[in-house]
Amino acid sequence: MADRRSAAAEAAGEHRRTGDGNLVRMVGIDKYFGRVCALRGVDLEVKYDEILGLVGDNGAGKSTLIKILSGFYTADRGEIYFEGKKARIGTPSDAKALGIETVYQEQALAPHVSIPRNVFMGRELTKAFGILDHKRMHEESMRTIENLGLRIKDTGAIVEALSGGQRQGVAIARVLYFKAKLVILDEPTIALSVKESQQVMDFIQQLKSEGISVVFITHNLFHAFQIAERFVVLSRGEVLTDVRREDSSLEHLSKLIISGEHDE
Amino acid sequence: MAEKKLVSRLLAYKVSFTLIVFVALLAIFQIFTPNHTFFQRANLFSLARLAPDLGIVALGVGILMICGEFDLSVASTIPMSSFVFVKLLGMGVPLWINLILTLCVGVVIGLINGLLVTRTRLPSFILTLGTMLFWRGLVYAASRMMPIGIRSWLDFGSWLENMFVGSIGGIFPVQALWFVGIAILLGIMLHRTRFGNWIFVTGDNETAARAMGINTDTVKIICYVIVGVLCSVMGLMQCLRIESFAANQGVGFELKAIASAVVGGTALMGGIGSVLGIVLGTLTIQIIENGVILLGFPAFGIGTFIGAVVILFAVLNRQISRFSTR
Repeated sequence: MADRRSAAAEAAGEHRRTGDGNLVRMVGIDKYFGRVCALRGVDLEVKYDEILGLVGDNGAGKSTLIKILSGFYTADRGEIYFEGKKARIGTPSDAKALGIETVYQEQALAPHVSIPRNVFMGRELTKAFGILDHKRMHEESMRTIENLGLRIKDTGAIVEALSGGQRQGVAIARVLYFKAKLVILDEPTIALSVKESQQVMDFIQQLKSEGISVVFITHNLFHAFQIAERFVVLSRGEVLTDVRREDSSLEHLSKLIISGEHDE
Repeated sequence: MAEKKLVSRLLAYKVSFTLIVFVALLAIFQIFTPNHTFFQRANLFSLARLAPDLGIVALGVGILMICGEFDLSVASTIPMSSFVFVKLLGMGVPLWINLILTLCVGVVIGLINGLLVTRTRLPSFILTLGTMLFWRGLVYAASRMMPIGIRSWLDFGSWLENMFVGSIGGIFPVQALWFVGIAILLGIMLHRTRFGNWIFVTGDNETAARAMGINTDTVKIICYVIVGVLCSVMGLMQCLRIESFAANQGVGFELKAIASAVVGGTALMGGIGSVLGIVLGTLTIQIIENGVILLGFPAFGIGTFIGAVVILFAVLNRQISRFSTR
């Protein structure tokens, strides 16, 4: 099942991929909230098939940066290039249209509503006259969830009845179904148990194997180090360093974050 | 284990509990009313004529609650619609134009409510409390609290009356058909359409809905307009039934409608509810009123029973949802 999509993704992707291997390029991003400068001159690149860890202490600007990428905010200065072309991302819908999907901290799930209704929130599958195609929604959502490796016993359950890890799974299945090219995860393992966190990280690996690039924000350097291939460290709105995992270590990253000083 | 799951799932339909109580009430009233008058035709038809008043409004109010907002101004939209209708009658406006204009009252009041709530982002409970008082004041002032009979301008047997307050075969009240028909339409809209899903998620997690590209403001405004139109329909229906505009039409309806919705399993916080539940909730409240009178209890004390039932259901609904999500 997963192979079908991977093969197609590979075939299509090869033609479309830019020469420099960058899926996303954010150049010179500034963002102000009133007089407070949240981001200053931030450059960010995300390559194809890459898992990028965006780390930094509270207030560093990580959430702001990804919210600009996902259309929640607009940058005051700077440009965004997606698949080599200049992109105007004014609303979340613009981002989604490009293939940029976000999994938020609050998971953007409605707790008292069923799984299919959540997965297809805002993009429901319908028959004529806007009537919901419950059967298809159920089948498609469950299929995608299984692809992810998530097993849900009671498929008619409302989301509130699921565990934290399962809920993240549903949120991730949603972006998987809608053929995201870039998935942004904001603190995906926060408030999750060790076992559930591992489950989520397996999902993230699964996303990469589907040809999807991942950017994830986390405070948990331990988790980040397990799966991210590259790290960008932000502090007070500026990029401190952009380093590959091989060229860094947990101590290196945490020292940087704590000191807030540029590398070297 | 399998039994617990089944029972869990059944009770997860909050409506199940309302249904059980409903059936129990029917049995109790049938047994205890003198000469078993409860199930007699005259009484049932009386119920069929009166319950739709509350039911039609409760459907609108309940659906609005599911999308996360309140509308207290229903209590004033009703007399306002009735007043406009009677005034237009007096001006000799053709009936079908009159009907359209009367419904427009609901559209306008609903639009104003919806825009107010979505633009200011203030609690709808307070805002619609304000609009309720506003419109009621206008109605009181314009009518000077005097009732206005319709018979001077409208003879018996007009098509409008037959349509809204007539009887099928001379006996079965048309209001009940309106109630059922509107309930079916709204039920399909809420539970089976894309828009209905937007209503649920807007009430359950508005941030999520917006992040997924749903225009929650539009959803809410549409729901407010629906409530408004339903109130106009009901105000018109009531006016035709009592053959007059009365300034105290609709008084107390805002809370009774909310009570019907809550008894039917609608959550105050939004995101949970069903049309079937609202229908049962309305019937439950209406039946209690009716049964209590038949049992010979002091009519003024009805409120006590209704109040007790509302509290009981609110508590039980919570216990059930605790039980079913364990």
